[in-house]
Amino acid sequence: MTLNTILLLVVAVPVLGAVLLPLVGRFSSCTRNTLALLMVLASLAGSLLLLGPVMGGQVLQLDFPTGFGHMMLLADRLAVFMALVSSLVGAVIVFYSWGYISHYENQNEYYFLVVLFLGAMMGLVFAANLLVLYIFWEITAIASWRLIGFFRSPAIVLRADKSFMVTFFGATMMLLGFIMVREQAGSWDLPTIKLALAGHPLTNAAVVFIMLGLLSKSATLPLQTWLPDAGVAPSPVTALLHAAVLVKIGVYAYARLFLVNMPLEPVWQTVVPVIAAVSALVAAGAALLETDLKRLIAFSTISQIGFIFLGLSIGGELALAGGLLYILMHSMAKGGLFLCAGIVEQRMHCKDLTKLGGLIKTMPVTAIAFLVCAFSVMGIPPLGGFFSKYMVLAGAAKGPHLWIVLSFVGTAILTIIYLMRAFVLVFMGEPKTKLETEGSPVMVWSVALLALLSLAGGLLIFYPSLLATDSARQILGLIP
Amino acid sequence: MPSLLVILPLLAVLLLNLPLNFLRRLAQPAALLFAVYQALFALQVLPAGCTGCPTHERWFVNVLDPLTSVLLLAIAIVMFAAVCVLRATASDEKHGFNALNLMLLAVAGMNGLVMVRDLFSLYIFLEIASVSSFLLIAAQRDMGGLEGAFKYLVMSALATMMMLASIGLLLAYSGSTKFMVVAEALHAHGSHGYLLTAIGLFLGGLLIKSGVVPFHGWLPDAYAAAPAAASTLLAGIVTKCTGVYTLIRLVQDVFGPAVATQQLLLIFGALSVVVGALAALGQSDLKRLLAYSSISQVGYILLGLGVCGSANKFAAQLGVAGAVFHLFNHAIFKTLLFVNAAAVEKQTGTRDMNRLGGLAQKMPITGLTSLLAMFATAGVPPLAGFWSKLLIIAALWLAGLHGYAVLGIAASLLTLAYFLSMQRRVFFGLLRPEFAHVREAGWALTVPSLLLAAILVGVGLALPWLIGSFLLPVKGF
Repeated sequence: MTLNTILLLVVAVPVLGAVLLPLVGRFSSCTRNTLALLMVLASLAGSLLLLGPVMGGQVLQLDFPTGFGHMMLLADRLAVFMALVSSLVGAVIVFYSWGYISHYENQNEYYFLVVLFLGAMMGLVFAANLLVLYIFWEITAIASWRLIGFFRSPAIVLRADKSFMVTFFGATMMLLGFIMVREQAGSWDLPTIKLALAGHPLTNAAVVFIMLGLLSKSATLPLQTWLPDAGVAPSPVTALLHAAVLVKIGVYAYARLFLVNMPLEPVWQTVVPVIAAVSALVAAGAALLETDLKRLIAFSTISQIGFIFLGLSIGGELALAGGLLYILMHSMAKGGLFLCAGIVEQRMHCKDLTKLGGLIKTMPVTAIAFLVCAFSVMGIPPLGGFFSKYMVLAGAAKGPHLWIVLSFVGTAILTIIYLMRAFVLVFMGEPKTKLETEGSPVMVWSVALLALLSLAGGLLIFYPSLLATDSARQILGLIP
Repeated sequence: MPSLLVILPLLAVLLLNLPLNFLRRLAQPAALLFAVYQALFALQVLPAGCTGCPTHERWFVNVLDPLTSVLLLAIAIVMFAAVCVLRATASDEKHGFNALNLMLLAVAGMNGLVMVRDLFSLYIFLEIASVSSFLLIAAQRDMGGLEGAFKYLVMSALATMMMLASIGLLLAYSGSTKFMVVAEALHAHGSHGYLLTAIGLFLGGLLIKSGVVPFHGWLPDAYAAAPAAASTLLAGIVTKCTGVYTLIRLVQDVFGPAVATQQLLLIFGALSVVVGALAALGQSDLKRLLAYSSISQVGYILLGLGVCGSANKFAAQLGVAGAVFHLFNHAIFKTLLFVNAAAVEKQTGTRDMNRLGGLAQKMPITGLTSLLAMFATAGVPPLAGFWSKLLIIAALWLAGLHGYAVLGIAASLLTLAYFLSMQRRVFFGLLRPEFAHVREAGWALTVPSLLLAAILVGVGLALPWLIGSFLLPVKGF
């Protein structure tokens, strides 16, 4: 198999394979579940196969000549890095779903949408054409709309509609921005745009429109409100959408569009960090006051996305590498937190912090996994989250805006407070209600695995940081 | 032979009404067969454009350019769906047979309408199609149907009068009603007040016929009150042919893209897009919601057509291509939605969205296809509607009409909003206990649904490869 075939398969297997799942599910739910996991694992394996050549400096391109330019897939270090993160966390979440979702109806739809979502994510990551990117962007929006409304009661569907409306608003604005790029650069293809725009910054109006799309998808102020509301979804879905994959689309697209291909006016190096700082601080404050466990974690996501935006936008190799590494570490840790919350919610039928307590007695593995993931999000060494947070802050401190960095340090301190508060209220102290036992083995294994990955990410920091640093260098044009 | 497309349905109406019972039983299969024949014919001439067809037909000169072929294809597809709906929903055999006859007449009218190149013949065919639809709407003789038909009739009469007056003026001035001759006369003396009046009258009549805001009052009543099959045909294609197609054709071939025309189209288009969508948000009757959605989508077509006079030739081409493509897409997805509405009404006995809920569980095909139609209408990729909206918005932007482009794209948010509300109340959500025994409608409704949905998906996915060669004159977008 040539590398280009592998690249195509990484996208095509989950996107096309997803359609099979409901059909298979009519005959055997077990086969369907296995097949769903295998499809995501196939993407993961494919991405791993691409890793070697890409790290060697190769950039893979796949052309389909069409009326809209060469509809291309393109794999460079950044894309492969992002694909690895998404498919790795995605695979764990699909595995966890085997346990979690088996209690509910409409499982065929669930697996179809989750695998389609991950496939669309792969397509988005490898897209090298603005329209291809947009198409996959909207497929992820459709899938998350249905997944958020999975339980179908009127209030839940309303919130699903809200999240769809907000992200669709962002996406349409982004499309207008893309049309402006098309007008300025004369093509939809990113490599062509890159050549055409070299030395000519993108017009600020186009940047504003595209930024609306990115901010809405990554749930950053002022388009963040859909994310906490979307916590009504099944927990693996919240983990997938709101922690690991969906909210990373915005930051990834920022890197793909503005760092790799379209130069910006220098003013954006101040504007985006300021937006990120405000968003991070406000969301951390909201998390501090929240009593619903899943909403708390969702606010924490908004807050952490601010760090990633800071790393990507402030400029400089260290901050950029830190921002990319942050995507990986945050996906694993925050995914773990949501999945732990899912176990608590499913067993205790409650996600109110004030009504829970003492769960560590009956759910030791979940409690410890939660703590490890929380430590990683907080940035406690030696967990993975420490290194990424350190790199972002250290890189940003080299820049001219020290006060922005200080505000992020404040956010980091708030992070420690609200996550410890959540942990103590849920798992420590005296039990307030009858305690239930651990969730199903599949679910417990999943959260343990994510906790271990967070730990391994810190102990073996050499490998992920090499990947992130090389990606950053390639983005900055320091290495081919 | 293109003229067969007009002759065959007329002949069929004559034959079917001979006093022979076995012929009546053949009526529906014959109508379906004709629809298939027309679709194949249109598909065959579509890629070739003008080159592959006879140029000297007796009545229809120089007939089949891409615009005409696309419309013929759309007419065939909608007719197929409408006949299927008729089969599933006709209250009794007699009513079904009468409706079928009227449908055949309407189709003959529309086929003629899209093929002629002469103002007066165009007027005749337009009337054939319109009169058949008045009767179709009123066929059940209930209050609502009569009221809807009456409103449509009155507004159409006004429109007809304006158009006929305009044809008279143009004939008096240029000595002919042939498109070419009139266009030449207009080109030579375009700014004459006398001719401007004629153009204004004709455009006004067509705007009424298209149901554009503020001339839309008749449209929701007519769509909602008509029997299921009639509303499918009416919403899917009749008003699009009699109003929007004629507008595109005349602006393109006869009147030419004058600045005033362009302004007129843009303003009425923008108004329709926004007002239609806002009104749709407030509806609780499923078919009325779809009717307002139609008004809004026609607005997009006008916006695209409004770019035709732009100094930027590429944008102008793009706009017209987008308008034609959106016209085709609209025929597909609106027909699909009306077929689904018929299925819902048939299985549950109501169209009131506040009394429905969770039907996707019991009617999975209807639910899924309505979802696809909704995404196509809102312009969500990768469905067909996305590309046509993209072309229109891009054309508006490239032509420098930035305000209209932003408005168009923001209105697609409204489109999504009212469709999400429709989904929430009808298909998504929890199933109401009284509908626990609802089942999927029969094949006569699911087959056309699946077919139309397949077209939306197929065209959407294949468009990047088709755009340079098929239906659109746009290269290198």
